[in-house]
Amino acid sequence: MTADGRELAGLAALVTGVDRPIGDGLARALADAGATVAVRGSHLDPVDNVFATARDELGADVDVVVHAALPPGAAELLAFEEVTDERWETVWERGMRTTLALLQGAFPAMRERGRGRFVFVSPTLSMSGAPGLVPLTAYVEGQRLLAKSAARQWGPYGITVNCVAPAPELAVAGTAAGAVSLAAPALGGPGDARDDLGPVVTFLASDAAHFVTGVTVCADGGVWMAP
Amino acid sequence: MTLDGRVAIVTGAGQGVGRGIALALAARGARVVIAARRAETGDPVAREISERGGEAECIVTDVTRRDDVERCVDATVRRFGALHVMVHNAYAGGIAHRLEDVGAELWEQSSRTAVWGSFYCAQLAFPHLRDAGARGRLVLVTSPAGVEGSANIPLYAPVKAAQRAMSKSLAREWGRYGITVNCIAPVAETPALARAFELTPELKGRLEARTPLGRVGDAERDVGGVVAFLASDDAGYVTAQTIVCDGGSFTGL
Repeated sequence: MTADGRELAGLAALVTGVDRPIGDGLARALADAGATVAVRGSHLDPVDNVFATARDELGADVDVVVHAALPPGAAELLAFEEVTDERWETVWERGMRTTLALLQGAFPAMRERGRGRFVFVSPTLSMSGAPGLVPLTAYVEGQRLLAKSAARQWGPYGITVNCVAPAPELAVAGTAAGAVSLAAPALGGPGDARDDLGPVVTFLASDAAHFVTGVTVCADGGVWMAP
Repeated sequence: MTLDGRVAIVTGAGQGVGRGIALALAARGARVVIAARRAETGDPVAREISERGGEAECIVTDVTRRDDVERCVDATVRRFGALHVMVHNAYAGGIAHRLEDVGAELWEQSSRTAVWGSFYCAQLAFPHLRDAGARGRLVLVTSPAGVEGSANIPLYAPVKAAQRAMSKSLAREWGRYGITVNCIAPVAETPALARAFELTPELKGRLEARTPLGRVGDAERDVGGVVAFLASDDAGYVTAQTIVCDGGSFTGL
């Protein structure tokens, strides 16, 4: 926390996926916490340009990357036998390449400053499994473990990489709660991106979380309680 | 436990864990297709099974190609009349790397064999697994790294994790057909591990020291037997799970 009392004052953040409510809510939450925020939608190709343009907008290198974007069409329910190579390419292959490119794109400046924060939005459905969403769950879980590997390699540079796991229906528009029948949320409802998930992401982006890396914080209102 | 009458495909069965799984399934009566990228490695495994009194055939298969996997599945069903058990084990890309240096080629290798390979093996086996009634089995070979991440081979973790997520989602989709979908996460003596031991001689001792059972597993006895269990009727109510068979080293599940 800095002089103005807000957790992210003086930090430059990039938030992706703001064309969906969850990305939009998280971007607002980071701004509420004092960060200067550059926003991007779900179409991030090519990622190479993202950090250069964000630097111009922010007047600084990106300190915090919050990746809430999903590959286009990733949430469409489709029986596995109907999944085409094109769809697998769009959701798994391009989704993972984008996440990898975001990591690599932000890395040099973060390493130079000895500080960096990544927070990936990883809805719990990849941990529970979800029928009709095989490509999406493969992508989300792949990304979640890419975060852990990055956390292990880049810890020495002061870079942390974590995930926040919202309820599927908060993270993925159109995913009915019924897609995966789990327990009712202990805290009621899937929550609100800005008010309920935002503080968790703000914490992970802040100096207070400097010793927390490679973890997934479930903030789904108390449904998924497995380790 | 018997696998008499079962037909299985094991990818990457020309060596290591895949070979061990193929031998274990055949030893319990399954007829096994050795799906290997090269006949030079696959044929000897098929011969070894025959010499032990089992039935096996090598079908050269590149799991990164849909048409290749399709050909393998079709040939299996033509030869043996059915397909009950699909085991996707093939993987390429396990060399040490830095995440910041990863280029398209290394990513592709890992993604294509582990994840695209799982996609093709699962999808093309599906009609036959469904026909197998409550005996349809899909087993994906993943790794403890797919749960805890990896500092040495970072890309290994996401592709192995993707397989775990696929297995859970597919288990939910295919449960109605009685098909089970599981993962195993083994550590066993393989040519790849032997090379790693050569490069880093102290690695073997370190690995054994952190393993409660104090040794590196045997691909046939320690890993193959677990897959044979999953393939059997005894495991008909086990689905969407990852069974770690690594001597107790990883305890995070």
